Amino acid sequence: MIDTETSDIRACTMPQPPCTSGAGIDNATLTAAIAATLALTACGGGGTAAPDTTAPPSSGVTPPITILPEVLTDATVSRFLAQASMGATRGEMARVKTMGYAAWIDAQFAMAPTTTRWDWLVSKGFDAAANKNSENGFDACAWRKILSSPDTLRQRMTFVLAEITVAAIDGLVGSGWKAFSAAAYLDLIEANAFGNYRTLLGQLSVSAPMGQFLTYRGNVKFNPAIGTLPDENYARELMQLFSIGLVELNRDGTPRLVNGVAQETYTLDDITGLARIFTGWNFDLAGQTTATPDFLRRPMIQIAANHETGASTFLGSTVPAGLNGTDSLKRALDTIFAHPNVAPFISRQLIQKLVCSNPSPAYVARVATVFQNDGAGVAGNLQAVIKAVLLDAEARQPPTGSAAASYGKLREPILRLSAWARAFTATSPSDAWNVGNTSDPATRLGQSPGRSPSVFNFFRPGYVPPNSAIAAAALVAPEFQLTHESSVVGYVNYMQRAVSTGIGDIKADYSSLLPLADNAAALFDEINLVLAAGQIGADNRTLLVNAIGAMPAGTDAARLNRIYAALTLVLAAPEFLILK
Amino acid sequence: MSNPPIDASRRAFLQRASALSIAGVAAPWALNLAAIAEASAATATDYKALVCVFLYGGNDYGNTVIPYDQANYTAYFNLRPTLAYSRDQLTGTVLVPTAVPLDATGGSRQFALAPELAPLLPIFNAGKLGVLLNVGTLIQPTTKAQYTNKSVPLPPKLFSHNDQQSVWQSSAPEGAASGWGGRMGDLFQAGNGNATFTCVNVSGNAVFLSGNSAVQYQISTNGSVPLNAAQAPLFGSAACSAAMQVLVTQPRSHLLESEYTRVSKRAIDANAILTTSLAGAPAITTAFPAGNSLGDQLKMVARMISSAGSLGAKRQVFFVSLNGFDTHDGLLSVHPGLLTKVADAMSAFYAATVELGVADKVTTFTASDFGRTLSGNNDGSDHGWGSMHFMMGGAVKGQKFYGVAPAVASNGPDDVGQGRLLPTTSVDQYAATLGKWLGASDTDLLSLLPNLRNYNLSTRNLGFV
Repeated sequence: MIDTETSDIRACTMPQPPCTSGAGIDNATLTAAIAATLALTACGGGGTAAPDTTAPPSSGVTPPITILPEVLTDATVSRFLAQASMGATRGEMARVKTMGYAAWIDAQFAMAPTTTRWDWLVSKGFDAAANKNSENGFDACAWRKILSSPDTLRQRMTFVLAEITVAAIDGLVGSGWKAFSAAAYLDLIEANAFGNYRTLLGQLSVSAPMGQFLTYRGNVKFNPAIGTLPDENYARELMQLFSIGLVELNRDGTPRLVNGVAQETYTLDDITGLARIFTGWNFDLAGQTTATPDFLRRPMIQIAANHETGASTFLGSTVPAGLNGTDSLKRALDTIFAHPNVAPFISRQLIQKLVCSNPSPAYVARVATVFQNDGAGVAGNLQAVIKAVLLDAEARQPPTGSAAASYGKLREPILRLSAWARAFTATSPSDAWNVGNTSDPATRLGQSPGRSPSVFNFFRPGYVPPNSAIAAAALVAPEFQLTHESSVVGYVNYMQRAVSTGIGDIKADYSSLLPLADNAAALFDEINLVLAAGQIGADNRTLLVNAIGAMPAGTDAARLNRIYAALTLVLAAPEFLILK
Repeated sequence: MSNPPIDASRRAFLQRASALSIAGVAAPWALNLAAIAEASAATATDYKALVCVFLYGGNDYGNTVIPYDQANYTAYFNLRPTLAYSRDQLTGTVLVPTAVPLDATGGSRQFALAPELAPLLPIFNAGKLGVLLNVGTLIQPTTKAQYTNKSVPLPPKLFSHNDQQSVWQSSAPEGAASGWGGRMGDLFQAGNGNATFTCVNVSGNAVFLSGNSAVQYQISTNGSVPLNAAQAPLFGSAACSAAMQVLVTQPRSHLLESEYTRVSKRAIDANAILTTSLAGAPAITTAFPAGNSLGDQLKMVARMISSAGSLGAKRQVFFVSLNGFDTHDGLLSVHPGLLTKVADAMSAFYAATVELGVADKVTTFTASDFGRTLSGNNDGSDHGWGSMHFMMGGAVKGQKFYGVAPAVASNGPDDVGQGRLLPTTSVDQYAATLGKWLGASDTDLLSLLPNLRNYNLSTRNLGFV
């Protein structure tokens, strides 16, 4: 499985791309690097800070992060792609092996975006008046990107950011065209996926879908005549979920304690103060009506009469009286973005969603340092942050020893489906991408794009499976919030159908597997490598190869049954489900 | 005093359990727990179940149980003129209790249900539904002065959805490892024929139902989900089906893999038992409302209760939920529909328990993240604290109000801002009353509910059941 003949040893530093060295690192360097790796506490580390094995900072704020030399094998690049993409494919694996990790990431940054969800909806006629009061087209436009868009890192970042700054279609109410509003929101996130987090916050804060979802579209300043006050919804969730969180953090993401007590970041007074900022915003109908959906992708506009022009105080700062809505919003977001929590709060969640559920504080600190300053004095540079997350030693080198027993993360159901679809080039010949709503845990995935039950996402970064060994070890496992008796079985049943009969007209291309299928070991090894990064070990390999090998062979029908069975088994395997 | 550390007690339990298994010496707490469970099992020859109906998002109390006497109705209207029901709308759902509810000053009060809750009125009038006024999360009895001066500990992360959901369910914010429904399960699961069906969740994962040893079992509204590969050969291969079942249920050394296969094993084992049990249970003819997810969930609870006999279940705790109560805007267009679902689903469920002959053995109660503001924003209300809740069942001493009627006044004695109620009854008292009915001793309750010790023994039981 491990392709040592073509392995390529690389080393590079962050944040200076790209990797420079090819093969030729001597054994002494490699040995030293491996020894350093063994010293890492890594993602399973829990509460204690891991020793920081990175080079000491030569100056100031952005210490370069030494990336340990890593042997680029098929298995290691497949594992990298499970973290950095919507699913490994043989094609991307070859590209990563040729280019190295950092250059592959740069190439992904440079890829042109594909047709937006919005434009696809229009091209398919979903803007017909009959669709105004439906969600028709939304699931399809979201799945199309997830399953097939070639800019796989951009899609992964879009997926991740849409789970931090959440707006779900159920809450996009009040004007019809829910599918377009949800599509506009995902398109907005995608457009900023390789941009700057502050810019993203600015754009989503005036986006029509967020105005709908967190209910400040139409929000009106204090009315002394009837005593109505500004809606507090966005002020609260912007701070709790999108930027600073509930307690003060150290740079390494751990709570800042005073006499052993965590310090809450804001009070009710801060919420009522900030809520005054988010008044006056409403749809930009630009002389039109809601008969067409166009207003949903235009930034909202200010209705001056509804905007609070008095001073607003929050987080120890005051936005002075007399500012217009746009200027007061900018001041408020600048104040929030300047909070020292933003870098560790967002960085830790990005690590959790890409690499592992329990990053060491040192790993969080390294990424947060880049978030705070990309080396050019810019905070929130997502390209630099993506590299810091994915190229960090703790991401690239799975730990050994006791830390290995808790390293990694549970793959989300949507990403399990996309791993299969992309590995075997699933296509929708009709371009309908009719996967539909996959929210039902008993019969589908228990998760569906853009259909989180609330702004708190499908799962919380702090979720602890109660009454589990994970809880006893004081660790978190966010994706387990979706894991229960119905969903674990419903998922396997769904994938059994998907790999064999497809989903709607979406079917995979198994031409790469058919030549292997008479040889159960070869078939299994290929699927294990591409889907599970070769992480299904010897004991289960024997179990599964023997079972597949007992199936008939020799005809294409028999070979396909072997392929379906092998895929279903690998997709159900605990070693696939937990990405290590 | 700080919030009692749930995690620490769990660690202590594990350490003691570990000490017991390694050294073979007495582990007082663990042994005590086992003794309690055995004692409960010995006495629990009858059947009882608690059903938690959780209203996710924070139910708007102001438009759920509405002040009806003229003075307080006027105060209510003046605080939320854009959101208030008209008094005329309430005439058909005025609650006429056996004893008039009083506020803290001894003033007599009248309340009406929101018109959409009319299906609950006959249950109230039959004495099978009670109303608990101004209940919420607290560490200890707290006056407004104490709140303002921060002179007593307050629940962590007030007004935050996920944390207050967790505090309601477990007495600790997000990340808690057990909840009080699950801790009740710890006490009683040894007396059940199959411990798996002690804490049953028909909604999504909720910390409420996880105990220190009891594990919540999730079931879909259509019953347990069979693994296709276990029902028929996987693509014609019995060998692959057998391998699948080994693969997904095997113990693993990796912590996350191990937890995943543990859930899968429980799912497959439980399905084998439940499929037979549910098929053989008495049919339920009571009509449940269509297109009502809460109704679907409660119907599944009724079916589980109907099969409790064949499962050997003596004590069960159930959890169901309805989403959508975070009515920051569109309150008047959204909230009535939600209340209609709650009332239709709960009244059907009560009727089903009557049909099954277990109405007095099943106590249903509502819970929610928090109450909301009474003063509105333009067209909704914001996160609050204390709220109004319902207890329903044959054992409930209904047609009564419990707790203290809050003053309807901006900056009044019960208001911490914009009609956010400072609770006068704690969730721990609510839970203790329910736990006592289920059969927990006063000592058990102190371990189930770490803040209960801050209440005098005489005030721990609210007496509604």
